Amino acid sequence: MLDFFKKIFNGEDNSSKGQANNRLRLVLTHDRLGTSTQLMEVIQKEIIEVIARHVEIEGTPDVKIITEGRRAALDISIPLKGR
Amino acid sequence: MDNKTAEGQVIVVTSGKGGVGKTTTVANVASALAKLGHKVMVMDLDIGLKKLDLILGLENRVIYDIVQVIEGECTLKQALVKDKRFPELHMLPAAQTRNKDDITPEQVKELCAQLKPEFDYIFIDCPAGIEQGFRNAIAAADRAIVVTNPEVSAVRDADRIIGMLESANFKDIKLVVNRIRNDMVKSGDMLSIEDLMEHLCIDLLGVVPEDKNVVVSTNKGEPIILNDHSQAATAFNNIARRILGEQVDFPTFEEISFWNKVKSLGRNLFPGN
Repeated sequence: MLDFFKKIFNGEDNSSKGQANNRLRLVLTHDRLGTSTQLMEVIQKEIIEVIARHVEIEGTPDVKIITEGRRAALDISIPLKGR
Repeated sequence: MDNKTAEGQVIVVTSGKGGVGKTTTVANVASALAKLGHKVMVMDLDIGLKKLDLILGLENRVIYDIVQVIEGECTLKQALVKDKRFPELHMLPAAQTRNKDDITPEQVKELCAQLKPEFDYIFIDCPAGIEQGFRNAIAAADRAIVVTNPEVSAVRDADRIIGMLESANFKDIKLVVNRIRNDMVKSGDMLSIEDLMEHLCIDLLGVVPEDKNVVVSTNKGEPIILNDHSQAATAFNNIARRILGEQVDFPTFEEISFWNKVKSLGRNLFPGN
């Protein structure tokens, strides 16, 4: 639910406060995991390689970290091509 | 002392980043509690870079320091500086010409164990950073107060510190936001309290507005809480009352009420969330 509102606000919020919030969300998530902000690109590339060995992927897979409080989860969405 | 509890509480005030107002918070919250009649000790663990004596205006009364106590050059009682303005306030000064590595977490625990029966509250002024000085400062603490500013680098460091406190099994970690400017929050140019709560996910203990009276008080070596007309004084007094367990309302800013409206709208749209 909160993400829904965050998106609305982030979309419209070009204030310096909005930018600070967006930058903090990204950097704190990676600080807590002890990973770099490039991690998502690496994961996305490797996942595509593994999945593509078995099924055909359509479009671009979406890999992102979702957070709730101080906890985080990996959210992966991979569109597959049907026959 | 009538209101002396069985065993004092040790509260560490920390931040990660330097310059956010740890020492000012320690000095003022401790003075406010002492003013209310509680027996309070402030312990400066910023060895090598001491400030607490100067902020409290007690720099000319320091004779011995914490390292001399630990090394047995003087007794603990000899090193304590009493504040004449607040008879219940005592300070254990840091050493200026020594290093953080000159004391250990075990020695800090031992000192606090000696002080706990004598005081209601023992505040530890933690140095900036996450090294030995931080480990010394949290070793004996029962509760932690994390001070931050509404500014990205301070928030990032606060988050790291909160993670380290959680790893050290702290259950009571509370946030003090210092130097907030409501005009800038309203115009969209400063992180709001709600933003900071969202990022850091810990309970709020206090909100201290940017207040030029703090600079004036610091120049004079007087705690700001002695200035009845200052907003920062009210904020620090409120923090002291919340530490005592009182429910003290936070001043409502337009920013907060707006967010609450958005949130309640969200709850109505998505019941059960």
